Amino acid sequence: MVQQEWIPRSVDVSVPSMARTYDFLLGGAHNFAVDRELAVHVSRVMPDARSAARVNRAFLGRAVRFMTDRGVRQFLDIGSGIPTVANVHEVAQAEFPESRVVYVDKDPVAVAHSELLLADNDRATIVHADMRDPESILDHPETRDLLDLDQPVGLLMLMMLHWVPDADDPWELTARYRDALAPGSHLAITHVTADGQDERLSEVTGLIEESRSADRLTERPHHRVRALFGDFELVEPGLVGCAAWRPAGRGDISDTSEMNTVIYGGVARKP
Amino acid sequence: MSSPGSTPDPRPASPDGSRARDLLARKWGYLLSGAEMIPLTAEELERELREQLDVLCAVLTRDPLDLAAVERVGGHVVSLGHVGEDGLRHTAEVLAAGLPALPEFQPAGAHADRITRAIGALATGFLVANRRSVLEQQERMQLSLLKAVRDAKWNLKESQARFDEVVTSSASGIVIVGVDGGLIRVNSAICDILDLTAGELIDKTLFDLVDPGTVGKLRAAMLAVVEGRQDRVRQSQRLVRRNGDVARISLTASLLRDADGEPGHFVVVVEDGTELVLLQSELNRQALNDVLTGLPNRQFFSSYLEGAVRRADPVHGVTLLHLDLDAFGMVCDSLGWRTGERLLVHVGQRLKSLLALEKAMVARFDGDEFGILVENTAATPDIATIAAAVNRELAEPLYVDGRGLALSASIGVARGSARDQDHTELLRAADQALRRAKAERRGQWVLFDPNQDTAARSTHALAVGMPGAWEQGELSVRYRPVVRLSDGVVDGVEAVLLWEGPQRPVAHERCVELAEMTGLILPLGEWLLGTAAGQVRWWGQGGGVAPPLTVAVTAHQASDADLVSRVVRVLENTGLRADRLVVGVPVGVVAVPEAADNLGVLAEMGVRTALEDFGLGPDDLAAAQGFGVRSVRVAKRLVDLGTGRGAGFANVLIPVLHETGVLIAVDGVTTEAQATWWRDRGADVATGPHFGPDQPAAAFYEGLQVHL
Ligand SMILES: C[S@@+](CC[C@H](N)C(=O)[O-])C[C@H]1O[C@@H](n2cnc3c(N)ncnc32)[C@H](O)[C@@H]1O
Repeated sequence: MVQQEWIPRSVDVSVPSMARTYDFLLGGAHNFAVDRELAVHVSRVMPDARSAARVNRAFLGRAVRFMTDRGVRQFLDIGSGIPTVANVHEVAQAEFPESRVVYVDKDPVAVAHSELLLADNDRATIVHADMRDPESILDHPETRDLLDLDQPVGLLMLMMLHWVPDADDPWELTARYRDALAPGSHLAITHVTADGQDERLSEVTGLIEESRSADRLTERPHHRVRALFGDFELVEPGLVGCAAWRPAGRGDISDTSEMNTVIYGGVARKP
Repeated sequence: MSSPGSTPDPRPASPDGSRARDLLARKWGYLLSGAEMIPLTAEELERELREQLDVLCAVLTRDPLDLAAVERVGGHVVSLGHVGEDGLRHTAEVLAAGLPALPEFQPAGAHADRITRAIGALATGFLVANRRSVLEQQERMQLSLLKAVRDAKWNLKESQARFDEVVTSSASGIVIVGVDGGLIRVNSAICDILDLTAGELIDKTLFDLVDPGTVGKLRAAMLAVVEGRQDRVRQSQRLVRRNGDVARISLTASLLRDADGEPGHFVVVVEDGTELVLLQSELNRQALNDVLTGLPNRQFFSSYLEGAVRRADPVHGVTLLHLDLDAFGMVCDSLGWRTGERLLVHVGQRLKSLLALEKAMVARFDGDEFGILVENTAATPDIATIAAAVNRELAEPLYVDGRGLALSASIGVARGSARDQDHTELLRAADQALRRAKAERRGQWVLFDPNQDTAARSTHALAVGMPGAWEQGELSVRYRPVVRLSDGVVDGVEAVLLWEGPQRPVAHERCVELAEMTGLILPLGEWLLGTAAGQVRWWGQGGGVAPPLTVAVTAHQASDADLVSRVVRVLENTGLRADRLVVGVPVGVVAVPEAADNLGVLAEMGVRTALEDFGLGPDDLAAAQGFGVRSVRVAKRLVDLGTGRGAGFANVLIPVLHETGVLIAVDGVTTEAQATWWRDRGADVATGPHFGPDQPAAAFYEGLQVHL
C-alpha cells in the first residue's frame, strides 16, 4: 500500500484515532477520512451514537462547573482528546479566569492540536503522556509548574478509562492519582458500560477491534466503575448514566434511552 | 419592485408578540441542543436565539428584504457550537412553522413569500459559515498533524524496513550517519546532489562532504543534540560537489536513540527546502490522494480531467470510465470492512497496472467507486476492449486474508471529444451511464440488506469464497441429459456446475445463484460454456454422436453487453457449430433491452435460443413469439401442473404455444407420471432428476453410448 512512510506509526493517518473519531461524532471536523469512516460504521450499528458523545461532553461541562462552584480552581484532565467545543479550560476560565488546566493525552495529534490551541494561554497546557504512568504526569515539570497539588484539584478522566484494559489494573492506577491529591479534590469519571445494553454495543467494540486502531474498548459493569473512585465520596446522585447526572437542559440528554445510560458518569470528593 | 403600498405593516412587537417570540426561541433552542453539541446552558442558548429572532423579525418587516442580514443570522447559529446539518434542518423547520404564526405576521399568508425567502437566505448563510468552519478545523488539523510528525521521535530499529523503502525512493538526499559523523547509509538522491557514486562515499564522514567554511557550525550543533541541549539540527548548509562546486541545501539531522536511550544514529535529510516543506508536500499529496489506496481522489481527478479535456487529441478525445464494484457491500458485510479495504487497495493496483501502457489516470472516488481517465491516441484500444479487460482483470481472484475473492464492476462510460466540453458534464455523463448499467440489472441482483440474518451472512461468505474455490479447481462441469419425451432418447446435453464446497457439494442451481450475487457468473459462465463446448465438440470429432449442448444463462449474463462476444469466442475456440448450441435466457429478462438485443444477435448467428423459466403467462407467450427463440423450457415450479387446478389452463395454452412453432421443454421432472403427463400434452423434451444424475463427462458419454 502506498503510505507516507515518512510519518511514524504513531502519527499514521490511515489508523483511526479514538480522539478524532469522537470529535467527528460530536460534529467536529478535526478528523481524517479514516476516523470518519469508523464513525460511520459505528453509527450504522448504533444510529444514535452521536448523541452519546454529546451527552458525555455535556456532562463534562456540568462536572467542571460543579467543581468550580465548590472552589476548585485547578484541573487535571487526563485523556483530554482533541480540543473541541466546551473544553475544560473554556468552561472553567469563563467564570474564573484564574483557573488553571493541565491536559494530558497520549495521542500525538491530539497533543499537537492542543499545543497549537493553547499556545497563548498561560494558564492551560498539554502534557504528552500515558495515563498508565502516573508519575510521568504528576511529576511532569509542566504539571508542577501550573498545578499546586497541595490545593484541591479537579481530576477528570472522561471517556478514557475504558481504553485501559483490566491487565493494566486501572483501579491501582487511579489510586495512585487519588493518593497524590489534596483533600477537597474532586474526581470525575465517565466510562462505557454494557449494563442494560443489547448486542449492538459488542458490535461497536468489534468494529473498533477490526479497525487498524490498537485501542480496545473494555466496557465495565457498575461496581467495577464505582471501584475506580476508591475511597472518594460520590456526590449525589452517585454513579449513574451520565445523562442522569444533574441534567439541566435538553442538551444534556439523548432521545434514546440506551444512549443516556451507555456511559456511566459520577463525581466524587476526597474527604 | 416594491411600492410603499405593499410594504408590510411594521407593527411593533406587542407584549403578546414578545411572548410568542420567547416561546419560539425556546423551542428553537430546545430542538438545536437536542441535536447538536452547543456549549451553552439552555437559558444562554435561548437568549442568543431570541436575539437572532429579533433580527429576523426586524428584517421581515422592512423593505427591501435585507437578505445579507439574514445570512448573518445563519452564520451566527453555526458559531454557537458544532452545528451541522441536523441543526440546519431543525432551524429551518422550526422557523418555517413558527414565523408565520407570530402575531406581527398576521394574516399569515401575506408574508409567506418573504418568510420563505428569508429562510432560504438563512440556510445560505448557515452553509457558508459551516463550510468555512469545517475548512478552518481541517486546516488546523493538518497543522497539528504536521506538528505531531515533527515532534514524534521515531525509532529507527522499529521502522527499519519502512525506512529503507523511503530512503531509497525519496527525492531528498538522506544520509544515516553515526554519532561520530561516519556515513552508514546513503540514498541515490544524495549521490545525485553530490555527483558522487555510493562507492565513492564509503569511509567518508558527513563532515567531509560539507564546505570547510561551515563544517564547524554543523559539528557544534550535532554535539549539542547528542548532549541533549538541542532537539535537532536544522541549518542551511553548503555541500561540496565532485567538481568543487558548492550546493546550497537545507540540512536537518535528527538523532535516533536506541532502546536504552543512548544516542544511536543521525538521520540527515538534505533538501533544498526545509523538513517542513517536505512534510507539507507529503500532506498535500495526501490531500489529493486517497489515503487508503494512494490513488488520486475525486477532487484531484476532477481537476486533472479539466486539463485533460482541454488538451485532448481532437480526433481521439478522452474516455472516462466510472466503475462501481458489484456486491462490494456484501464482501464487507460478510468478511469485515478491513478485508474490504484491502480489496480496494488491490483493485486500485490492478487497475493501475492494467492501464500502465495507456496515458491513463486511475482514481478512487468514494467507497467502492473508481474513475479511470484514458487520454486516447490512435493506438488506444476501443472502449469495449478496455471495459472487458477491466472485468477480466477483476475476475482473477485476489487473495486477501487467505481468501480468493473476485469481483466484477459495473462501468459507466463517457467520451469527451470537444475541447470546450465541460468536464463536470463528462463526469455526470459517466455517472449516469453507471447508474443505468446498475439499474438495468436491478431485480436480478441480491441487494445488500443490513438486516440480513445469519443464514444470509453465511450465504454471503460462501458467495465471496467461490472465486477462490474456482481458482483452486473446486468447481467442475457436469453433464445432464435432455431427454426426448416421445421415446426416452437422450436428445441433448445440458452443462451444469458442481462445486465440491467447503462442507458439502453445492449443486448447480445454488452455484449459479451464488455466482450471480457476486458477479462471478460472468467469467464463470463463460468458462462453463467454453469447457462444455470443447467437450461436446470432442465427442463429435471422435466420430461419435454429439448431442446439442444447452447452457442456461442467468439474468445478469443475459443482459451482459459482452454476452455475444463471449459466445463467439467460445465457438471460435472450440469449433462448435452455432446450431449445436442452445443458449437459454430467463424469460423474465427479455424486457431488458440489452438482453433482447443479445437474444436477437445470437439467433441471427444461428445459435438456438431458448427461454428459460417459462411460466405460460400471456407475457411469456408473447415473448416466445417475439425474439426468434427456438424453444421454451417450462419452469420447474410448473412441473406438477397436471395434478393441480391449472391442468385445464395448461390444456388450452400448450397448443397455443405449439402454434408459435417453438419446441417445448420441461424442467425439473422427478417422476414418470410427470413425464407422461407432459408428453401427452405435447411437450417435446425434458430435464430433471428422473432422467438420471448430473455426471462427469466420461460417465455421461458412456451412458450415451449404451443408450444408443
Ligand atoms: C474519547 S476521548 C475523550 C475526550 C474527553 N475526555 C471527553 O470525554 O470529552 C479519549 C481520549 O483518551 C485518550 N487516551 C486513551 N488511553 C490513554 C492513555 N492510556 N493515556 C492517555 N490518554 C489516553 C485518547 O487518546 C483520547 O484522546
